[in-house]
Amino acid sequence: MLIEIDHLTKIFGKFIAVNDVSFEVRPGEIVGLLGPNGAGKTTTIHMMLGLISPTSGEVRIFGQRFEEHRQEILEQMNFTSPYVAFPVRLTVFENLMVFARMYDLRNPRGKIAELAKLFGIEELLRKPVSRLSSGETTRVGLCKAFMNDPKLLLLDEPTAYLDPQIAGQVKQILLDMQRERGTTILYTSHNMAEVEKMCARIIFLSRGRVLASGTPIEVTQTILKEDRDEPALEEVFLHVAQRQTNEAA
Amino acid sequence: MKPHRIKAVMLRHTYEARRNLDRIIDMVYWPVLDIIVWGFFTIYLGRGNHLQPGMISFMLGAIILWGLFFGFQRDMAVGFLDELWSRNLVNLFSTPLSVTEYMTGLIAVNVLKAMVGMTAAALIAWVFYAFDIFPKLPAFLPFMLNLILFALALGIIITGLIFRYTTKIQGLAWSFAGLLMPLSCVLYPLKSLPSYLRPIAWMLPTTHSFEGMRQVLAGGGFSASHFGWGLALNVMYFIFAIVFFRLIFESARSRGLLVKLE
Repeated sequence: MLIEIDHLTKIFGKFIAVNDVSFEVRPGEIVGLLGPNGAGKTTTIHMMLGLISPTSGEVRIFGQRFEEHRQEILEQMNFTSPYVAFPVRLTVFENLMVFARMYDLRNPRGKIAELAKLFGIEELLRKPVSRLSSGETTRVGLCKAFMNDPKLLLLDEPTAYLDPQIAGQVKQILLDMQRERGTTILYTSHNMAEVEKMCARIIFLSRGRVLASGTPIEVTQTILKEDRDEPALEEVFLHVAQRQTNEAA
Repeated sequence: MKPHRIKAVMLRHTYEARRNLDRIIDMVYWPVLDIIVWGFFTIYLGRGNHLQPGMISFMLGAIILWGLFFGFQRDMAVGFLDELWSRNLVNLFSTPLSVTEYMTGLIAVNVLKAMVGMTAAALIAWVFYAFDIFPKLPAFLPFMLNLILFALALGIIITGLIFRYTTKIQGLAWSFAGLLMPLSCVLYPLKSLPSYLRPIAWMLPTTHSFEGMRQVLAGGGFSASHFGWGLALNVMYFIFAIVFFRLIFESARSRGLLVKLE
């Protein structure tokens, strides 16, 4: 297994953000981590990056315990989210160069040029980040995420601020990466149609717990408790979100 | 520790220094302004024969060295604040970069920035006020080292506090060194402090550096005692700063502050 999450729990004061979550991801899979707001997706991803320490449980990536092998693991994986930012006065090129140096790339300029072409930001390289739109910043984040040719990518809503055309291109790039290089991708999104297209397997979280996992059709049947011929993740999402709202009320 | 990651942090802050006018002002403007104002003041005092011999050298030397201490401490904290203001911490710490590598990179780039400020102030003192600090540098170096070490310990502690209490306490980055100035005996000897404050002043490595510097300027030679005291205190404060920062960083990870800091 490439990712092994074993009884992971995170408690902030009296709030249980992640509650005894376990799942595994095989090499080369694209797995969707779904759930309504507050389900624990981002906290789980942050624990997988070592940004938040778990209250209990264990994260193993590439067969190694994260807490003991943080640097070796992070050398081979990467992350992006439209909700993190870059130093705004630095140009796009300068920001990417810092990360290229961080991974000790042999030809950082060549790699930046290659990724800028791939994500269509060649004309933005000399611009300060402060002058980019949200969608452009998201694409810079994706360039950063591919900088070290990661074996594992954690993508937190990677297409959130992208227009449909660019989002389509990004999804195709991700699928190509998975097919050509065997990149494993853990993917969160609120766009259920996108997840159905991208992900072979889904882990559906609600209130910090795994509600269901399996193929999109399996998750649909488990949560809706009905036989279905087609996955209906949008319906599943609305069903779970409504149940959460009712419980809170 | 991997040198390429330390260099990456240095590169990030070098770009910031180049692109951000605030950082250029911090680096050069304030040390230069300080020395100009104090230079004119010493000229005024000198003309009226209000000064003891060597007093102009004491004052100008002290202002230059205080600028080094203050600038380095402030830049350490502001360098970290730059990451918070730009919400860049998650990007940085989702790479293999360790906290030790990050702090080492930040220290290295800020030593260079502090040296630029000190050199600019020293050149102005030399050209306009005929105070040449450069021949005295070999004797000053041990005291400068102690100033930098203390500024480093303070910078680490303030950075730790910002980790814990976020930008709510960012004012400490600029103000904390100022709080120590009256007790550090920058412009006057330790004996001029009220007796009840002297034990506190004695516990500051800055006091020993400025006392030692005054002894050099007065022709009394290098004070091994002041250097030794300053160094011993620095070792103590530095160990405390490292332990404190580690605890705070782990607490920030546990509380999820690293991903929420703004």
